[in-house]
Amino acid sequence: MAFPLPRGITPPEISFLAEMEMVTIVPRQRLEGLELLGGPISPLIPPRRTPVPLWLALLLKRQRRANILPPPWLHPESLSLILDTETQHQDYKHAFSPPPPLPGQPNMRERGQRPIARPRYTPEGQRYYRTPPFLPQNVARDQAFDDGEPPTLPFHWLEVGTMLLDVASDDVVDPDQTRRLLKELREVRSAKIRSGVDLLEDAATAGGGVALTGVGAMEIGEGRGFISGVVDGLRRIGASKEQARREQMAEATANGGYDATQDDDDDMEF
Amino acid sequence: MEIDDILASVDSSGVSNPESTALDHQLFTRFWVAERSVPELLPWPSRLMNRMMERIQHQISTIEDLAATSSDPSNITTTTTVPGTTNTTLTLSILQTDLSRTQYLIRSLLRQRLAKLTKHSMYYLLLSSTSPPPIPPSSNLANPDIKSQQPEDSIPPLPSSHSTTSPLSISEIQFLHTHQTLLARHFGSSFLSSFPPQLRRLDDNAGGTSMVQGPDLRETVFVRCLAEQVTVVAPPGDGVDEVLGGTMRMGDVWVVRWEGVKEAWGRGDVEVL
Amino acid sequence: MSYYDVDSILTDAQKLPCTFELDVPGLGILEGNPGESIKAGTRIDLPLWLGEMLSIGARLGTSRLVTLDIPSALSERVMNAFQADPRTVDLRSLAPNYYRLSERVLELFEEEEMIDILSNTFKKRAAEIADHAHNPKGALGDGAEFLQGLDETERQLFRVAHDSAKETRIWAGEAKKR
Repeated sequence: MAFPLPRGITPPEISFLAEMEMVTIVPRQRLEGLELLGGPISPLIPPRRTPVPLWLALLLKRQRRANILPPPWLHPESLSLILDTETQHQDYKHAFSPPPPLPGQPNMRERGQRPIARPRYTPEGQRYYRTPPFLPQNVARDQAFDDGEPPTLPFHWLEVGTMLLDVASDDVVDPDQTRRLLKELREVRSAKIRSGVDLLEDAATAGGGVALTGVGAMEIGEGRGFISGVVDGLRRIGASKEQARREQMAEATANGGYDATQDDDDDMEF
Repeated sequence: MEIDDILASVDSSGVSNPESTALDHQLFTRFWVAERSVPELLPWPSRLMNRMMERIQHQISTIEDLAATSSDPSNITTTTTVPGTTNTTLTLSILQTDLSRTQYLIRSLLRQRLAKLTKHSMYYLLLSSTSPPPIPPSSNLANPDIKSQQPEDSIPPLPSSHSTTSPLSISEIQFLHTHQTLLARHFGSSFLSSFPPQLRRLDDNAGGTSMVQGPDLRETVFVRCLAEQVTVVAPPGDGVDEVLGGTMRMGDVWVVRWEGVKEAWGRGDVEVL
Repeated sequence: MSYYDVDSILTDAQKLPCTFELDVPGLGILEGNPGESIKAGTRIDLPLWLGEMLSIGARLGTSRLVTLDIPSALSERVMNAFQADPRTVDLRSLAPNYYRLSERVLELFEEEEMIDILSNTFKKRAAEIADHAHNPKGALGDGAEFLQGLDETERQLFRVAHDSAKETRIWAGEAKKR
């Protein structure tokens, strides 16, 4: 077999991806700037705060060459607030708490404003929008949260949090409490995925889909096989219905135009 | 913010420039995730891969040069500062780790592609072929060639020029052709040669079930909407035009059929998670 | 139907009640009477692939050899049981590839209500499967009985849910690699 892994990246691969997230370190020794295949690294000059990829931060931390400044969300206060949103807030009973906005997307205070997507262009001329792990969602900030903006869980929250607690727990505020809160969040959110099976039918129809906005990368990894299995199963059971509907449409088209009205409300939230 | 400045400057191009290195790394990582997640083989990004391979070659020589300098005893004696040597060791281990991480991604990508290719080998061979196979599948017994029919006759010839519609790289096409020819001969010598000649093909269509199986584009994927909005579609077919479905908004993560967002992925408006 | 798919091939061999519309000389072998003929009105369970082929005339609206019936696994009695509580039905004893069989039957018969009942059944049971698959201690009591009655599609669903939950626990350091 050329490749034994199932479709979709697995937990170790998701973790590998999360190691590309930028975090802030306080170097304890000097090092000249480096040109890496993943992009340039700024020179390390103690005690100047410097953003580096998580894998490099962990490498330096293990050799006691740097300390890591944990991201603002990885703090008992932030995590408790997020946990409250996940468990108490009416809007998020069946949905995940909102993720950090993408560049160009309005944040919580600017809600109601239109998002403006500003693509960059690749050398091939294709549109490119930056997303995690290539956004500064895990770098340190001077204040815990900017201007009263509520804390949010970044896409790679579970991986970054777990790895920082493993390797740099002495850099994390109240590591035991933080660890407990991460575990609690994981359980609350995992239950939301499992109880959302009823809504998955919308993803089984052609042109349909089910929103999981706010979901974390590791949570997709854990739920991918099951969710895809349920959606594919529902699609197969409904296949004859879909076929019949398409035949009707084809007939109508042949007889002079089908007035396609979308009768499904596809924008369902967990 | 410092990090934003670094990442924001990735627009400029040129293989040797560090910003385009960062951009290509991001594009390649995203492509790897997508290839690992979608049911079908994605179009081979040949220009991106050429740039990646060129940089890897360059990085390997940088590492070799640095390793040679640091292990050369004459160098240590001439280097008066001891911290300099520890820094070389650290620099080397960072460069090595960075290189291994990139090599890991490339291996994983290539192996995933090989797995898809060999799983649906006849499908991808026919897709990449510019001419039909020597004998059409529904050949009848009146055909004088039928008596000598062998399984490998089903395999389309290697295309003379690289087709632009094929998602395979040139080496993938060559691999697949050789692989399938060997497999067909093996089938032939182990059991197919004892079948009647007309039952020896590997691309038979008899009974309404084709032996050539392609990937199922209706399988489920997880995507994030990157443009301001993206409409999921039911692709055209069976005499029906494309039908518009639900609308994703920027930042939304959806569970959808791959066929419903494939075009949007091609435009760079959604990413596969 | 997928050429190399084992489950699809197994489903093709599932039996379907067929009623012969015409006398067929020499086909008695299907009833265990080789050499005899089959009389019109005879009811025999035939594999899906054969029944489907013999009934083709019926679907083309020309003279037909047999008419097909819905198999007992998808009878009204079973549908009622699903509506009462989908989790108590032993699908495996009805048909090992229950949903695959349903899929094929639904291609032959227009039964919109049955699609709704089956979709609902699949969802309810899937939610139950997810809960069992996430329990690291394994299924106990009632759970074991429910899991015994899963059809092949559901077993695969259980396996994938169980494996990914376990892989995530291994990654998080909460479980050991075997």
